[in-house]
Amino acid sequence: MFETTLFTLSGLFTLGGALGVCLCRNLMHTCLYLLASFMGVAGLYAGLGADFLAAAQLVIYAGGVVILMLFAVMLTGGSEDRSNRMGLEKIPSMGNKKTLLLSLLPALLALALVVKLVLSVNIAPEKLPPFESTVDKIGILLLSDHVLVFEISSILLLAVLVGACVIARPIRGKKHE
Amino acid sequence: MNNLTPYLVISSALFVVGIVTVLSRKNIIAMLLGVELILNSAALNFVAYTRFGALNLDGHIMALFIIVVAAAEAALGLAIVIGLFQIKESIHIDDATELQH
Repeated sequence: MFETTLFTLSGLFTLGGALGVCLCRNLMHTCLYLLASFMGVAGLYAGLGADFLAAAQLVIYAGGVVILMLFAVMLTGGSEDRSNRMGLEKIPSMGNKKTLLLSLLPALLALALVVKLVLSVNIAPEKLPPFESTVDKIGILLLSDHVLVFEISSILLLAVLVGACVIARPIRGKKHE
Repeated sequence: MNNLTPYLVISSALFVVGIVTVLSRKNIIAMLLGVELILNSAALNFVAYTRFGALNLDGHIMALFIIVVAAAEAALGLAIVIGLFQIKESIHIDDATELQH
């Protein structure tokens, strides 16, 4: 009963948030819908017995990425339907009905492929293993079998840190114009 | 839920909505949000198969690295957006047509 409720609520959050990301016109609201979607995915992780991943999802995505997105939206003015500074007519930045319809075509193609794959999967175990903590096992796996990927990801994060600082740095001479 | 299929349905719906977002939006930040949705759907698949396929925890490790790469991608993508905004004063994808200014 509890698991069904958790799954239903999390699924509704996930899909509702995703639809909000897809359809909302306001960029700030879009970021908040993305937050709802991430929280729904964290609930799904919890229902799947992945306690560490649920916590990581909440901390990294909800606490980090969405805040970063909100900062970027605010730093770039949060404009939605402004035409560009040349005053030319063009597709509004949040898209319109035409772009939505056009993008539905490849999306439906992908959906057909995915549905075919999902229907071919037939995994229905009679008895699931009981829930148990995964934190210690993930820690052991990270530092034994996957230690190389672990170190590479730390180098990747360092490179991203330095690269983001260099790229987003104010351009010299253009600071106060 | 003790069945794999509902999770796969949610994951595939998330994937398709992410693709529609990436393709229909012209705002670079909104396109990045769509990429986040796609990465989330992939990670959800890994965790669901770990649970119902009676596999070891390698799927969790994979989902963890997906989260790491998604965070890195978000940080670098937003840095590029801010850099573009300093030059062009726009975050419209059609304005990003030159490699240098």
